[in-house]
Amino acid sequence: MNRKLFIALALILIFCCQTLAQTGIKKKRPLPYEYGRVVIDNYSADTDLSPVVFEHWIHRAKFTCRVCHVDIGFAMKTGGTGIKATDNARGFYCGTCHNGKMQNEGKAIFAACSRNASAGDQKRCIRCHSLGQKVASDYDFFKFSEPLPKERFGNGLDWEKAEEMGLIKPIAHLEGISSAKSALALQKDFSLNPKVEGMPDIIFSHRKHTVWNGCELCHPDIFMGVKKGTSRYSMVDISEGKSCGACHTTVAFPLMDCQRCHSKPVHP
Amino acid sequence: MLKRMFIAVVLITGLAGFSSTRAFGEPASPAAREREAWQKEFDEICSRTQDAMSLSQEELATLIQRADALLPQIEKLDETRKKVYMGRLRMCRGLYEYVLESKKNEKK
Repeated sequence: MNRKLFIALALILIFCCQTLAQTGIKKKRPLPYEYGRVVIDNYSADTDLSPVVFEHWIHRAKFTCRVCHVDIGFAMKTGGTGIKATDNARGFYCGTCHNGKMQNEGKAIFAACSRNASAGDQKRCIRCHSLGQKVASDYDFFKFSEPLPKERFGNGLDWEKAEEMGLIKPIAHLEGISSAKSALALQKDFSLNPKVEGMPDIIFSHRKHTVWNGCELCHPDIFMGVKKGTSRYSMVDISEGKSCGACHTTVAFPLMDCQRCHSKPVHP
Repeated sequence: MLKRMFIAVVLITGLAGFSSTRAFGEPASPAAREREAWQKEFDEICSRTQDAMSLSQEELATLIQRADALLPQIEKLDETRKKVYMGRLRMCRGLYEYVLESKKNEKK
């Protein structure tokens, strides 16, 4: 009797383990103000500071993706830049703007890391090194997002429309940092066939992506195919952060907002 | 009288010379000149990314060569500058190479 019970329990345990292993743990969907949040923890622990919490929404309202990811040089992967306090203190990366001199909305932007930080600087340090800390921010997401056009997922905002309406004006050039650029050759939007019956074609807004990202942010690092139609993109790869997923799983509207990409009208 | 005038002229000339030096800044040191040169070259190379598609294959190849020639100078910079500018140069060069490849493919 005991033996039968043991076998039955063992079978149940094996079944449960297999089921759990197959389905994994469901990821928590970030709240609108959390979407795009990046926690950077390269060297913080070495200095007894909390990891840095970077809020994309505050910064993307003020700058195009290109300014930060091309001109300033932030990597596209969390922790990929390997920012050190000395880099910031020298006026690079965060220190490009967070230098105590650059103005934003009539106020000097607080300085990031300094060479001779003292105990008195602790309050300033934890403005960025804020994971698990109670830090009052100058920016309130709900107040900020109130006048902006809404969307269903991600930050719950239509950033593109917000720019069209003139409600946000992302800066595309930082004096002394960005190279003087020739006029942008605007790219034509194009459609991609998903080759799945009933699934509308993707209208890729090449123009919008170029204006915000420039060319070199996507090519060739993210999209390396040189001939249209030769690269295959699967939703599995995209959801793992490849191609479109480099931004559309992290900062830009998420993949569950299907019809924003699969947008070609099905009925003529 | 002549002596006083001479002293005045010398003083004025000296002052003018001093002012012009201050106005135009100290002559740049060789290191500073070199720094400015690489920065200028970097800006010139990376300023063409926005119209890379309209460049000819020859122009793209030249930009790639210039980027390769600039790399050793950037490698000599301090740690932070090296990290930032090597990354930026890699992106510019990568784009030109990508566009060049796509243009070659178009011709095939």
